[in-house]
Amino acid sequence: MMGPTPFAWSESETLGQHLDRRGVTRREFISWCTDLCVVLGVGSAFTPEMVRALQQVRRPSVVWLQLQECTGCVESVLRTSDPTIGDLLLDLVSMDYQHTLMAGAGDAVEAAKATAMEENFGQYLLIVTGSVPLEDDGIYLTIGGRTGLDVLGEAAEGAAAIIAVGACAHWGSVQAARPNPTGAVGIDRIIRDRPVVNIAGCPPIGDVITATVVHYLTFGAMPALDGQGRPLFAYGARIHDQCPRRANFDAGQYVQKFDDEGARKAWCLYEVGCKGPACFSPCPIFQWNSHTDWPIGAGHPCIGCTERNFWDTMTPFYERLPNVVGFGVERSADVIGAALALGAAAGVGAHAIATGIQRSRARDGDPGAVVLPVVSTPPEKNLESDREESDG
Amino acid sequence: MSVHTEVPSLSRGLPVAYKRVRLWQWPLRIMHWIVVLSVAALIVTGFYIGTPYFMSEGQAADHFVMARMRFTHFVAAGVLVATAIVRVYWLFAGNKFERWDALLPHTRADWKNLWLILKKYMFIEPAKAPHYLGHNPIQEISYTTMYAVAVVQILTGFYMYSLSNPGGLLFNAFGWVGIVVGGAQVARLLHHVLTWTWLIFIPIHLYLTLRADVVHQESRISSMIGGGRYVRADLDFVDD
Ligand code: HEM
Ligand code: SF4
Ligand code: SF4
Repeated sequence: MMGPTPFAWSESETLGQHLDRRGVTRREFISWCTDLCVVLGVGSAFTPEMVRALQQVRRPSVVWLQLQECTGCVESVLRTSDPTIGDLLLDLVSMDYQHTLMAGAGDAVEAAKATAMEENFGQYLLIVTGSVPLEDDGIYLTIGGRTGLDVLGEAAEGAAAIIAVGACAHWGSVQAARPNPTGAVGIDRIIRDRPVVNIAGCPPIGDVITATVVHYLTFGAMPALDGQGRPLFAYGARIHDQCPRRANFDAGQYVQKFDDEGARKAWCLYEVGCKGPACFSPCPIFQWNSHTDWPIGAGHPCIGCTERNFWDTMTPFYERLPNVVGFGVERSADVIGAALALGAAAGVGAHAIATGIQRSRARDGDPGAVVLPVVSTPPEKNLESDREESDG
Repeated sequence: MSVHTEVPSLSRGLPVAYKRVRLWQWPLRIMHWIVVLSVAALIVTGFYIGTPYFMSEGQAADHFVMARMRFTHFVAAGVLVATAIVRVYWLFAGNKFERWDALLPHTRADWKNLWLILKKYMFIEPAKAPHYLGHNPIQEISYTTMYAVAVVQILTGFYMYSLSNPGGLLFNAFGWVGIVVGGAQVARLLHHVLTWTWLIFIPIHLYLTLRADVVHQESRISSMIGGGRYVRADLDFVDD
């Protein structure tokens, strides 16, 4: 990728010519394009056009910034055991700058990045993983002596399009979880003057990135996005609405413990904390690890990793509702609610008893009794009449 | 609004004048009992959705328990919303006991009376507490609070409901709720926690209404059925 390879995609050739040289057959290429058309939701009838467009593509320049992150996203995206043409494509695009993969280091690569950004100003694709810390002037992340904010701002200026990969770049992920000591934010909080495409997930599925890049190369534009900047073709439906265990949800069949009968029968994971009802992701369809499986398929509840603030709002992962903070200790909502409701019922009962006691004391002529007025009879007669009746 | 009748006092044979005041017009009474039914259904089915308290066995295809619970929940939700819309209209079209200004204490006297009534409930000088025909200030505050709770549950409920069809009509109408509260799980938690406020409110409401009738003979319960109360004509009512 970064170093010289016998198959380097030279700037003079198109993708079609290059794939020929690599030995990718036309049949393979077309069937891959068909798959992508389906993934992107444009329909397989669009295949010929995609084939034509992609074959003509010349090598795009890509700058990949890794800010405050764990590199999990890079691993998820680029290290597949069984590379598809999509992976090849990501390999092929000229990664002018990529911390994990580049061979060089230090001033040399910083200079190379500067040159690449200058030469391709207004044309390169900017991919970002990781969040930007803002607390204390952003000192919690510096690269080559400059803060992440500074580095990102500069790179964004000349970018033709910006893709934020992963929960960190989307909204800050684990480092933005309460109490967010470094003031981490997603990159769309920094870049406000144009759209940022958010490939959500911790980490996201590699195919979603490939498909987004292919969409960009084919149409010269980013795919349609939802309100959070996530491509709709991938994040347009809830896990819960695409889940093979939904029939068990509707039937009322739930796993109670991970080793129970229900778990063996692959029942719904709702009661062990599945966040599928609150999570938009293509996991059930695209699946993971070269389409082997996905969390719910393997019997684990969804943790909602494509949603903003999931470390705070989707936890505890094995309970359905988040905890309430504020009582010193964290207590579940139901304990508090039930205590208050029982308290209300008990208070009402106690009050009724107190009322009864006062009434009987007043009836017995106890001078210390509190007189509870009866509004339908004259006040001064209230008790006398009662007393007379009881005397009589 | 009121009819005077002269009837002999039952206690002493002294003549006491009574009058009948009409409080709740039929639309309000109907709305009240519809809300009772729909909220009861929402609580029962809501708790099943929250904690499925029984399960089904055998093939999933043979059962539809959760789906029916959710269906009932959403039908009751629709009924609640329809009622809420009419109630909003009735805030302006209703009589003075039903209008919007009868839903919040708004005069200095109201606030003073609120304190006197609280004291009455604490058995301190109950005779000094003022009388109200319609809502007293404590009722005003608590009913308005429950209206607000219902509104938040409607908003969070429809937001959660809309998630199955992002980009649809409901999603466009209620999607902002998720942004305001901070995500679907927070909306769910709010929706869930607010259910407890009903379970706190209902026993207190039942008790105080019952107590007003049993102890003070205020005939509150029948007023929500027949629409009016008989009250002594010589008593002063703050909201007469
Ligand atoms: C008095 C009013 C209501 C009460 C007491 C109530 C109660 C509940 C409760 C306890 C839950 C379970 C929450 C959980 O633990 O996950 C729930 C869920 C839900 N409620 Fe309500 N609810 C009310 C009104 C509404 C309304 C007006 C709607 C509007 C459509 C609504 C829609 C929903 C939805 C969509 C769910 C989640 C169900 C699912 O996605 O499986 N609710 N409700
Ligand atoms: S989104 Fe998750 S996997 Fe990706 S870099 Fe951040 S913490 Fe790591
Ligand atoms: S396992 Fe999760 S996503 Fe699937 S039906 Fe159950 S709650 Fe929904």
